[in-house]
Amino acid sequence: MNIFKREMRAHAKSIILWSMGMLFMIASGMGKFTSYTGSEQSMNDILGKMPKSLKAVLGFGDLDVTTATGFYGLLFVYLLIMAAIHAAMLGANILAKEERDRTAEFLMVKPVSRFSVVTAKLAAALVNVLVLNGVTLVLSIAIVNQYAKGEQINGDIAVLMAAMFIVQLLFLFTGSGIAAMGKNPRSSASIATAILLLTYIISVMVDMNNKLAFLKYITPFKYFDVRQTYEGGLKPLSVALSLAVIAVMAGVTYRFYGKRDLKV
Amino acid sequence: MNVIEINNLTKTYGKARGICDVSFNVEEGEVFGFIGPNGAGKSTTIRTLLSLIYPTAGSAEIFGMDCIKNAPEIAREIGYLPSEVFYYDKMKVIDVLNYSASFYKKDCSKRIKELAGIMDLDLKKRVDDLSFGNKKKVGIVQTLLHQPRLIILDEPTSGLDPLMQQKFFDLLEEENKKGATIFMSSHVLSEVQRMCTRVAIIKEGRIIKLETMSNLTENNYKKFRLEFDSDIQKEHFQINGVSNLELKEKFISFLFKGNVNTILRKISQAELKNIWIEEPSLEEIFMHYYEKEA
Repeated sequence: MNIFKREMRAHAKSIILWSMGMLFMIASGMGKFTSYTGSEQSMNDILGKMPKSLKAVLGFGDLDVTTATGFYGLLFVYLLIMAAIHAAMLGANILAKEERDRTAEFLMVKPVSRFSVVTAKLAAALVNVLVLNGVTLVLSIAIVNQYAKGEQINGDIAVLMAAMFIVQLLFLFTGSGIAAMGKNPRSSASIATAILLLTYIISVMVDMNNKLAFLKYITPFKYFDVRQTYEGGLKPLSVALSLAVIAVMAGVTYRFYGKRDLKV
Repeated sequence: MNVIEINNLTKTYGKARGICDVSFNVEEGEVFGFIGPNGAGKSTTIRTLLSLIYPTAGSAEIFGMDCIKNAPEIAREIGYLPSEVFYYDKMKVIDVLNYSASFYKKDCSKRIKELAGIMDLDLKKRVDDLSFGNKKKVGIVQTLLHQPRLIILDEPTSGLDPLMQQKFFDLLEEENKKGATIFMSSHVLSEVQRMCTRVAIIKEGRIIKLETMSNLTENNYKKFRLEFDSDIQKEHFQINGVSNLELKEKFISFLFKGNVNTILRKISQAELKNIWIEEPSLEEIFMHYYEKEA
């Protein structure tokens, strides 16, 4: 419990900053909604004529950007990337920092098993991820409602946040797994972020080129397509796939961190 | 009773040597010195005992329990001072110490104040504002605050000024009198000589000597260097107990072991210009043990 508390305190400032980042992203993003809606019909016409690859690069997909939820769907991709980066870095750093800052020789000679150290740290990371998710949910509902003009948006946003939470967990455990396996505690966070960006680039490539559709299983950014999620909720296959990756990475985290020599 | 029992402990890092076949015991109530030059394997042995790293072969027991399997249980009764101390930079000293205390199921607040008072440590400062020596003081308080039964110290005096070293050693002697066992590594012979009842000497990952302090000092060598006005015969000093005899121009140097009166009488027969008598450095004692082994 003391490790959990200590980690919560250590990450207090960071979670506030990330939340402010979310606020900025949502507020400034939705601010542009009015310029899209200014000439409703023509905007959808332009988008309709746009080549698929261009739309993919811009992250437009097949959303109706003249509705508040449709436009929020565009924005969501960026919120998702932000939340995923936060989770990946948190997962990697929360484990690796003891070795990076050379405090492992302090913490790990205390009467605690490595298992309980990992558990306490992951629990703290999980709470942080939940907080960022909750903050994003509340901010999104509050801000998007300003533009909704009577549209029912709460349900749509909630289901996207559920998807975001799964992606957050995925990258949290990927980060912790990398830190647990890691030979160099300094590079775990960068490796985790690099993997994240790589999977995002793959997801954009899949959007651009149908022949690459098979790659959609290896990038979490394709697991929860915004339009499909709006229409049909979370895809069971995607949820199952995510849970499998999470379970594997959690296993990797515990196993490797328990078995390897600490860098001291 | 043995507090520490090390059996054929081996740790290799890929091709690099760590420690090889290290075996020795530390008895309850003992102050045991673990000496060797940098890189000999002192810290590797200590870190294996603390299960920070895992042995390649062999095993070690502390309080009769396996030091890997029962690490958390053993850790309750251990105080460990690493050679370089690192704490969470943004924390205040008192918060670090309270955090450390929170792992042991007892109230340590009184002891923290007491120790901080003795070591002259400002509890309100932030860790990153502390000098190296002051960080070491935090380490000392942190090591002793829960009144451990076994105190493990890795190069304990590096970074401490002589006054603080004195206070620290007094503290340790007090803890030892109360029954704590002390296991300290060092490359400073004088501090080991002062504190320890028994020593193990490690060189290149292997224990080359396990000896009581009294035996080691009785067998201690003195280093002589003499300067003469006139030419001198090297053979003059070729007596029992003299080794490494060397003549360079008007300087003669040698190591001597035995009754000092014999060698002083021998020296007084010659016309001296200057004389140096020194304790041999640890390295020289190593060289001696090395030659004997070869």
